Amino acid sequence: MTTRALNEIEAKAWLVEAGIPVTRAELARTPAEAAAIAERLACPVALKIVSADIVHKSALDGVRLNLTTAAAAAAAFEAIMQAVRARQAQARVDGVSVQPMAPPGAVEVIVGVSCDAQFGQVIMCGLGGVFVEVLQDVAFRLIPLQPRDARQMLTELRGLPLLRGVRGRPAVDLHAVEDLLLRVSDLVVQRPQIRELDLNPVLAYPDRVVAVDARALIEVT
Amino acid sequence: MSFSRAQFERAFNPRVVAVIGDKQMNGFLWLRALQQFSGKLYSVQIDPNEIPLIEAMGVTNVRSLLDIPEAVDYAVVAVPRSVASRVLADCVRKQVGAVTLFTAGFSETDDPEGIRLEQEIASAARDAHLLLVGPNCMGIANPRLGLCNFPHQPVGVAAAGHVGFIGQSGTHTITFCMRAPVEGVGISKAVSFGNGVVADAADYLDYFRDDVETTVIAAYVEGVRDGRRFFEALRRTAALKPVILWKGGVTEAGQRAIFSHTAALATPAVVWRGMVRQAGAVGVDSQDALLDVARTLLAGRTATGLRAGLIAMTGGPSVVMTDAFSQAGLDVPLLSEASYAKLREFFQVVGGSLRNPLDAGSTIAMGLRSDNLARLLDILDRDEMIDVIGLDLGAALAIDRYVEHPELAGTMTDALVSFAQRSSKPFAVVADAPHRPIDAARLRDDLRTRGVLTFVSPHRAAHAVRQAVEYWRVRAGVE
Repeated sequence: MTTRALNEIEAKAWLVEAGIPVTRAELARTPAEAAAIAERLACPVALKIVSADIVHKSALDGVRLNLTTAAAAAAAFEAIMQAVRARQAQARVDGVSVQPMAPPGAVEVIVGVSCDAQFGQVIMCGLGGVFVEVLQDVAFRLIPLQPRDARQMLTELRGLPLLRGVRGRPAVDLHAVEDLLLRVSDLVVQRPQIRELDLNPVLAYPDRVVAVDARALIEVT
Repeated sequence: MSFSRAQFERAFNPRVVAVIGDKQMNGFLWLRALQQFSGKLYSVQIDPNEIPLIEAMGVTNVRSLLDIPEAVDYAVVAVPRSVASRVLADCVRKQVGAVTLFTAGFSETDDPEGIRLEQEIASAARDAHLLLVGPNCMGIANPRLGLCNFPHQPVGVAAAGHVGFIGQSGTHTITFCMRAPVEGVGISKAVSFGNGVVADAADYLDYFRDDVETTVIAAYVEGVRDGRRFFEALRRTAALKPVILWKGGVTEAGQRAIFSHTAALATPAVVWRGMVRQAGAVGVDSQDALLDVARTLLAGRTATGLRAGLIAMTGGPSVVMTDAFSQAGLDVPLLSEASYAKLREFFQVVGGSLRNPLDAGSTIAMGLRSDNLARLLDILDRDEMIDVIGLDLGAALAIDRYVEHPELAGTMTDALVSFAQRSSKPFAVVADAPHRPIDAARLRDDLRTRGVLTFVSPHRAAHAVRQAVEYWRVRAGVE
């Protein structure tokens, strides 16, 4: 079996097709392109390295956040390229993605698809950060999902109170999270070549959700 | 591969059984196990040293399976693996209904020869459409027919019942068959399927789903060959009757142990748990829990509410019982105002408490006032705020008096038995006295045999009730 990694821009195109909200990322190949996109978006932007060989973008210093001017975007492009070349010279780099910064006030959710040796494609959902990494607070289901499964996945999480709102923070839109899970499940049914899919993070707000980063591994024949 | 229901029916309800290759070295395990079989039993053995011993057991021995003058419904093959293929070919020629291959040494080992032989056997069985159970397994049991897969298994009316057991492990299957009847759980059919190369857990689930004698299915599984097929079988079965799944190998070390046992692939515990819930089945992590939940489901109460009304005799146990039910995911709410009004008519608040739990030792006089116990239970039964009822008898403090005054125990058990009959809510009674374990067990047995669901601890009671309620919630679409 041969596999190919989809970069953020390719993976997000699939998500958009499936009706999953994403922050639209555009590819810049030069500092000038990065500046032009930032200028056009007219809001604070995030720049991220785009490379099929790089999974952990932050670890390679391949991410710059909250850039408010075109000049800052161009400078960030250079800085990212330099940092990545210094740390992983052999990585095939397509460029840098430029996208609007997501507003603050969200709870980070992680959604993933993987292949289990016995059960095939399964979908995972958890809360970002320590909840997944340290506490392994995640819920799994086989794909395809029924609406009840999506609801139960969220109620199984020990971190559920964070989604329901703690310390005066409002609850996030749980229905939007469930809807996203069902749409990811539909996407995998439509495109069975997906071996892995990571939506990390998905930002959950009181009125909506949005996937701000994505990657996929697909089977190619 | 799929077999017809008729093939399974014949395999699980045989009239004629043949055991091939049982011998003294094996302690005549199979011939002894089948001593109480109600049908006709044959032994197939060519060794002249073994034949007289077999005949001394009163079993007819023939030198070839083909010499048996009648149709054979079910055969157990206990020959060395090197000749297993040849014996299976005989079974095919004889048109045996189903074959258990007890013989081990196949894919569960790393030995390439074992793996090759297993493939050879599996493809021969598939080509002949032979229902092959195993290899590396203990096969089929049907206590009603005295068909056992181990000596001294309980048989007949006392052991027969409505729980079907499916086991990937022979030992877990046998011990379940031994233990369940002792705890009041009768078995309809059981199967240990080992490597399951031709028929596996999914096939047995489908058969038990259609089996009218089976109302609750219990299973021990380590891994499955075709996960999707298993999941679909589990889901369609759980939609008709409860399925309780005990998964072995939920830790990394446990998964390594699985590999050398049944060679099943590893699925993370969290994925397995999600799959079980998605299918609408009940997941458990021990034989104790498997039996607890089976007993609770057999009681036939299909309540879907989570609100527990609790009664204990003294303060500490009422606190711990409340914790146990809460931790299991049940609510312990205040009772309705109408209930409190009725309680105030007779409840002894001194030395007690009438919120929920009802700390009722004084009111019931530690069991001396069975009439008051019945009144308390009836109040919980009629209370619309309450869905399930738990009672801790405080047996540790009462058991000495019960032993000295059996008539007291009798009045109390009568009250509980009669309540269990008139109430339709799930009703769990906790009765244990660790300093008099035999007397406590006798007390539980007395209650159990008369239809009262009993437990040794509030935690086990709470978990079993919660799991049973969860099954019916999923069935009813309650969230």
